[in-house]
Amino acid sequence: MAIPLRTLKSGWIFPLLIFAAMGAGILLGFSNINLPDLDRFNEFFFFAVLGFFGGIGIFFYGFSKLRQKRTIENLPTSKIRSIAMGLVEVSGEVAPLKVNMLKSPLTQNDCVHYSFAVEEYRRSGKSSHWATLLSDTQSYPFSLKDDTGEVLVDPKDAEIDIPNDFTFESGLGKPPPASIKQFLTARSLSFESFLGFNKRMRFTESFIAPKDKLFVIGTAGDNPYVEEATAQKGVEDVMIQKGRLGSFYYISDRPEKEVLKKFRWKVIGGIYGGSALSLGSLTVILLYLGLFF
Amino acid sequence: MALGLTIIIGMIVALLAIGIIGYLISIYNSLVQLRNDIKKSWANIDVLLKQRSDELPKLISSVKGYMKHEKSTLEQLTKARTQFLNATTMEQKAKSDSIISGALKSIFAVAENYPNLKANENFIQLQGRISGIENELADRREFYNDSVNNFNIRIQSFPDMIVAGRMKLIAQEMFKVAESEKKDVEVSF
Repeated sequence: MAIPLRTLKSGWIFPLLIFAAMGAGILLGFSNINLPDLDRFNEFFFFAVLGFFGGIGIFFYGFSKLRQKRTIENLPTSKIRSIAMGLVEVSGEVAPLKVNMLKSPLTQNDCVHYSFAVEEYRRSGKSSHWATLLSDTQSYPFSLKDDTGEVLVDPKDAEIDIPNDFTFESGLGKPPPASIKQFLTARSLSFESFLGFNKRMRFTESFIAPKDKLFVIGTAGDNPYVEEATAQKGVEDVMIQKGRLGSFYYISDRPEKEVLKKFRWKVIGGIYGGSALSLGSLTVILLYLGLFF
Repeated sequence: MALGLTIIIGMIVALLAIGIIGYLISIYNSLVQLRNDIKKSWANIDVLLKQRSDELPKLISSVKGYMKHEKSTLEQLTKARTQFLNATTMEQKAKSDSIISGALKSIFAVAENYPNLKANENFIQLQGRISGIENELADRREFYNDSVNNFNIRIQSFPDMIVAGRMKLIAQEMFKVAESEKKDVEVSF
């Protein structure tokens, strides 16, 4: 089962883990703690180290969000008919291309993009977690139109920021809807435990449907589906896509003001939250190592 | 002072320093981006001005046979086109653009008086193309003004004005529509 690419791209789990691993190594080296010395190296200490370097990672993540927020603020919204090549910001309504339509797997809605996850609640001893049984993300290019024209958008590699359109949690006395049962059966997944009770499962799905209003920041470039010099009105030789140099590519169904508000919180949370986490964790580490008194 | 406290204070100072430097760098980069966006949005207007200028000789040759009484308007258009082609600065180009837009508006309005011209296939196509470019130009002028406005607001706001001052950035002029373009074209039937 493939991990959705956008989850990895938009997340900060990797830098956080790298920081944590580096930090754990450095601290272990400096403090002469040997891994088998379980008296000193316990779980609490490990989480403090993880928190310290994770906090630094989140701190820098806040700065990367600040850069993206400024890009959104600086770039005026273009009218679609007069889009120029390069980084553009547009907003409009989704007009799917007839040949490019998807069905969202859980709710069977017509869409141009979907992302879903099927998770199961698992318990082992004192701890419990949601384990992902199945997840996938699919997108097709679509047209985006405003009152001046329309342009092709290829959502591949975009950071797609849309809320869940469907969330359902099954459990004892709460079976999943028929369409989901069918979906699970077709994939040889059971929604019942061996005793016949409904399993505690969570189903989430988000999608971009026709006529949804979108806010897009991406790179307007050559449309590979139109042959050179054959562009006509309505089939322009321009497509919004991911820039070659890995520039910002973001799609949301929120208006620009709300997008900016969301970024503002990410910046504040990243910079201040990261600093606080890192300082708090450092205090714990120093207390633990007996360097405070 | 305990070593731990020293490390904590050191960490706070380091985070503050990184935070302040990072913030200043983000302001600097953002202002550079805004300054370049203005240049780019002007260059995007220039591309369309050139496209429109290339269409003008075809338009003039297609209408001059019909518009015997509009000789001065056509001459004005030819002169403004030459001015545009010789222009080297943004101001000169903007000035000739304004004259061309005004003259085109007059020609298309006056064309209503010439039924044979209105029925001419070549003229209809040219009018469609030029009107399309004019619409795109209007959008891009608006975009240019938005870019300039964003830039001007940023360089006058605190704390960006400190960095902008060090970079010697000054407020930019917006693209203004000439008074002649705002007037309605008089058409006599």
